[in-house]
Amino acid sequence: MTDKRCIIGGVVLLVGSLLLHGCSTPETPKDLLAPTDAQLKIRSMQTRTFDVTDRNAAIRGVIASLQDLGFIIERANEPLGLVTAARFAEPNYYDVISITVTVRQDTKSRLTIRANAIYNNKPIDDPKVYQNFFASLERSLFLTKG
Amino acid sequence: MAPRTLRHAATPGTVGAALLCAFLIQGCSPYETRHQNQWNSRDQIWLSESSQLKVRAAQTRAFDTTDRRRMFEAIISTMQDLDFSVELLDEELGIISGKKFIEAEESQGTDPTYLLYRPDTLLLLTRNIHAWGPFQHRSNLVRFTATIRTRGASQLIVRTSAQFYLQAVEDPGPYQQFFRSLEQALFLQGRSVE
Amino acid sequence: MIRIAVCLASLAMLTGCVTHTEPAELLQLTAETPKHRAMQTRFFETPNEKELLSASAAVLQDLGFQVEESVHEVGFLRATKERSAREYGQYIQRGLLLILSLGKLLNPVDLHQKIAAGLITRPLNQAATKQEVRIVFYRIVWKSDGQVDRQYIPPGQQYMEMIRDPEIYQQFFAKLSKAVFLEAHTI
Repeated sequence: MTDKRCIIGGVVLLVGSLLLHGCSTPETPKDLLAPTDAQLKIRSMQTRTFDVTDRNAAIRGVIASLQDLGFIIERANEPLGLVTAARFAEPNYYDVISITVTVRQDTKSRLTIRANAIYNNKPIDDPKVYQNFFASLERSLFLTKG
Repeated sequence: MAPRTLRHAATPGTVGAALLCAFLIQGCSPYETRHQNQWNSRDQIWLSESSQLKVRAAQTRAFDTTDRRRMFEAIISTMQDLDFSVELLDEELGIISGKKFIEAEESQGTDPTYLLYRPDTLLLLTRNIHAWGPFQHRSNLVRFTATIRTRGASQLIVRTSAQFYLQAVEDPGPYQQFFRSLEQALFLQGRSVE
Repeated sequence: MIRIAVCLASLAMLTGCVTHTEPAELLQLTAETPKHRAMQTRFFETPNEKELLSASAAVLQDLGFQVEESVHEVGFLRATKERSAREYGQYIQRGLLLILSLGKLLNPVDLHQKIAAGLITRPLNQAATKQEVRIVFYRIVWKSDGQVDRQYIPPGQQYMEMIRDPEIYQQFFAKLSKAVFLEAHTI
């Protein structure tokens, strides 16, 4: 009799402890909000400076080049110089590329454009991606000169 | 022997019946059948129900005032009275847009997350979970847009349009009701626009 | 024998080719980009950009669109309309497949579409006497549920389509041109 109760009690304890163990939240990693090494490496790839004075024209140029690339513009904010866009990785409609571009005026005659591309939920660290993007952007920025 | 009977069987009547069976056998879900069916869904891009004169007349009013700010405030307060959440407000261009959810029929359980659903971003990418939740309640969504333009030196033209359950609102009634409330808020009479 | 053929055919149709496009390719201009840009762009001889934007919003409203986003400082406008995407043809196709596959294959059909128009205006010269207007029409379609043998395909599958029909763009610019009393020049 007691043997059976012992066994049942033991099983309940075991199962209970296993369940309880599952309920504990994972420890917050110390560097949750710190940039990763990979991020620091690609930061230089993601940024380009242009000798352009008109920040507004640059923002419009960014939007125009994103439209050329088949992106859907989600957000555009002039005071902050921010453009957010996304597109499906066609012909595959499960994967999405989203891109955030910021335009910042450094000096009167120079501005910095930074593009952050994300593939689904992972940041893209392939330099070719950013090269291609800036190549199309240059085409669009200087298309309307004069 | 078999080929001969097949040839006999393949008359236009039987083929038609077979196609009809193919159609019916599928058994649409009730949610599906409430969507309008058509031959080419791309036609919807260009379809504009407001080409009907009756609706167009009801959607537009002219007001004898040039006070844009006051007109904006009146439209916003009317929308608030109707429980719309104003999402877009562009004073320079004269556009106000909002949406609300109405309980037109009994709900099949509440799903609060769908009210936060923003479909203009390419989905909250839940790749492996095709969340059908938001779509199920699309029947409750009403979208409303009002544009304000100056006409001549003394008039403002207000043009409204509404969308409900995947269709533009074609009935002049709702628009008339909206303008009645707007006129009360403005203490001005709206005129129809030719 | 027939079953295998049907299986293969239906598999090919259903799963499609889940090809993987490299992200780098997706940020490259293609040979068709200039053609698409020409189709989607017109310029107007006016310094009044706001008038163009406001008239565009009115034209889109006429077409049943609801304006969702407007940032006039950068000349950006986005309007959408949600409509049914059901098509008779897809149901006929689905029914035939169902019969041919002997009840094993139920294709998801298009159900719900969101047609969107993204519009942007840009001054074309320093003096800002010429304005360029570019509009892109696209639609996102959500599919219904389906079944492949024992596997249930939940609803909500989506795909996106850029509208490449030149007539739609021509008609939009014709309407806009009429609304602002200006001629729409091709680039």
